[in-house]
Amino acid sequence: MNALEGVTLIDFGQYLAGPFGPMVIGDLGANVIKVEPITGDGMRMVNKPFFGCQRGKRDIALDLKTERGHDVALELLKRADIVHHNMTAGVAKKLRIAYEDCLAVNADVVYCNTWAYGLEGPLARFGGLDPLFQAAAGIEYDAGPVQEGNPPLYLRFGMTDTANAMLSVVGCLAALYHQRTTGEGQELWTSLLDGAAVLEADALLVDGKPVERPHLDKGQHGIDACYRLYQTSDGGYIQIAAVKPAHWVALCDAIGLPDLAGDTRFATAAARRTNRAELESILEPAFATRTGVTWSRRFDDAGVPSQVPTDTHDGELMLFDADNERLGLVAEYDHPLMGHMRQYGTLIDFSETPGHIAGPPPMVGQHTREILGWLDYSDAEIEELRGENVVYWPDDAYPWSV
Amino acid sequence: MSGALDGVRVLDLSWGIAGSMGVLLLAEQGADVVKVEPPGGDPFRDYSGHAVWNRSRRSVTIDLKRPEGLEAFLRLADDADVVVETFRPGVTDRLGIGFEALHARNPRLVYASCPAYPDGHRLADHPGYDALVQASSGQQWEQPGWRLGPIFLALPLPSVAAMFLVPTGILAALVAREDTGRGQHVRTSLLQGVLLYTTQIWNHVEHATADFHEVMSKSHPPGVHQEFLFEVESGDWVHTCIMSGLTPIRSQDDLIGLEGDPSDNERFAMLSEEERNQFTPRRRVAYKERDGDTLVEEFRANNHAVEPVISMEDALGGSAKPHPQLVANDMVATVEDPVLGTTTQIGVPIHLLGTPGAIQGPRPRAGQHNDEILGGLGYTPEQIAVITGADRAAVRA
Repeated sequence: MNALEGVTLIDFGQYLAGPFGPMVIGDLGANVIKVEPITGDGMRMVNKPFFGCQRGKRDIALDLKTERGHDVALELLKRADIVHHNMTAGVAKKLRIAYEDCLAVNADVVYCNTWAYGLEGPLARFGGLDPLFQAAAGIEYDAGPVQEGNPPLYLRFGMTDTANAMLSVVGCLAALYHQRTTGEGQELWTSLLDGAAVLEADALLVDGKPVERPHLDKGQHGIDACYRLYQTSDGGYIQIAAVKPAHWVALCDAIGLPDLAGDTRFATAAARRTNRAELESILEPAFATRTGVTWSRRFDDAGVPSQVPTDTHDGELMLFDADNERLGLVAEYDHPLMGHMRQYGTLIDFSETPGHIAGPPPMVGQHTREILGWLDYSDAEIEELRGENVVYWPDDAYPWSV
Repeated sequence: MSGALDGVRVLDLSWGIAGSMGVLLLAEQGADVVKVEPPGGDPFRDYSGHAVWNRSRRSVTIDLKRPEGLEAFLRLADDADVVVETFRPGVTDRLGIGFEALHARNPRLVYASCPAYPDGHRLADHPGYDALVQASSGQQWEQPGWRLGPIFLALPLPSVAAMFLVPTGILAALVAREDTGRGQHVRTSLLQGVLLYTTQIWNHVEHATADFHEVMSKSHPPGVHQEFLFEVESGDWVHTCIMSGLTPIRSQDDLIGLEGDPSDNERFAMLSEEERNQFTPRRRVAYKERDGDTLVEEFRANNHAVEPVISMEDALGGSAKPHPQLVANDMVATVEDPVLGTTTQIGVPIHLLGTPGAIQGPRPRAGQHNDEILGGLGYTPEQIAVITGADRAAVRA
């Protein structure tokens, strides 16, 4: 049995912040049905991000704006434990699949909307993409870093979408637990803005004034003389994390500057923070005398935490890493158009109810007939819906690349 | 207190971000959390974020290396629904508080572990500081910066990803327990956190087309969204967006005085790289002549999403008014921290409308609730002094 076996989630989302959460819930064993416009999810044109948030789902392509399409949607909603989407303000209401519409057919449903900004407020009417929220919550500011005179830097991992989606996963599962223990469903929401803010949760004010946090240097090496990248003689880098007092002493010894450990300018972590530039000007030339691997072997012996950064070549080496394969961190499947594919695998391991990655990202409407059959539509009705362009399933003229 | 997770009892042995923040998300939906700290307290107490990561819970100090401390912890675990720990694989077993030991006594217990690397990984016994995982996983190499080579990520991405996986696993196991009656061991890691944030850019496919690989690929200098960051007159920056979900009134280029050029950013994104490279410098000049506040106001009035680039401290109101939408989302909170005093922190980011979450209180002092929690188990003050290590501290003093 899987942890969420028997849980049905209807996913009306598109792009990233909507679909990502349902995929994670699907990995935990839920039955996830992606309801896709017959014109395709807007993200299909950007293949990698699309693939990154759609695996394991079954897909019905449905025109929600038609009366018969709406009837199909209601049949889906009746069978849902969780309904999930990232529609912008007013859209779900117009399509008559808002929480109130769901309640009429399914009284104890968990209903989640992942917004860009939020449910109500001055900017709630706007949709928007991840970069806006990296800007609004200090992520680009810190990554520049702007306080050192650099331009802001966008982080290409698109994490605020994922953060929004993961907040929705935690929220949906908390609501589902509450529903299982009390019988009561409810509506919930999360947002890209709040997701971004949670990533920067260590920012705080005391008496309305910012509390100083360690910040990145102009060269983007690190946030402390003992917690940063140093360039090595081979032109590469080594990351050190000499966090504890014992690490500091061991580092001075291993790098051939034992006197530094007794230097009062650097005697404590606080002193090393105060005299960061001075210390870095001593350590930088020292690190530049040997290769990263030489340092790393020496540091391992000396008990100084360090790591030579790996270039994984767009992540592909991670997907062919023997440890990752053996530990289930890589998933493999065949896609009808893309052939054999690999993605990251299990994100959470369960000792008794293992996760279940059901298969590759679906094609537009790949499971339309199967799902309509499950909703008790007859073969004749299904053909009729297709004839009226209410539903779609792939044919020889399939226009999308994935 | 009334939340979705009312009645769920959590023992939090974690240090750092991933465990503590993961637990926070549960605590503020109603779970009753006790943070178990070593004598002297969680070693991360001096970090700026500690006051936020560890709020909404009580604290007890227990010396797990003493038999009396171990026994007290086991008694707490007998009555718990969830235990969370973030030590290296094997550490809790050596302390006698591993999954097997606790689950044998309390079969309904959900036991969540989040080390840096999964048990069995070649680096599992290595130190697991966030930046080391950034380095070993390739995340630092994947981020383009202002120079070539790996870039240190000031945002600790492995940790701030795993912090979502911890409560996700716990909640899935709690839901499953409603059917099976049994708890289980739920494991994730900072390395699995890395995977969470690379899902949009790391795929390997057999028949990859050029489109598949090029869009969103790493570039130097930084590309794609970086192109929509513009400096304005004051030297501050704004980030514009190619879509807002609304129908634009005047186009963005029109608003910055570049009439006759590509009419909107969506169209701009369809231009070839060469065309964009010719056009972007003209935009940069036009933005640099504009007042940022006026520009943001005009953009929004014309249905374009745009955000000034600010620090998170400023988003909370550190130099002017806080971000208006964060305020509307109840995400700017005042918390009386016992050490720092009056603080402004993020609020509760998951908005359950039927059972609203809430901050349950400030970060506790280490051992603040020793008497209440250990006294509640029937221990005498003398026994509590042994369990918490206070007797030794007294001798040292």
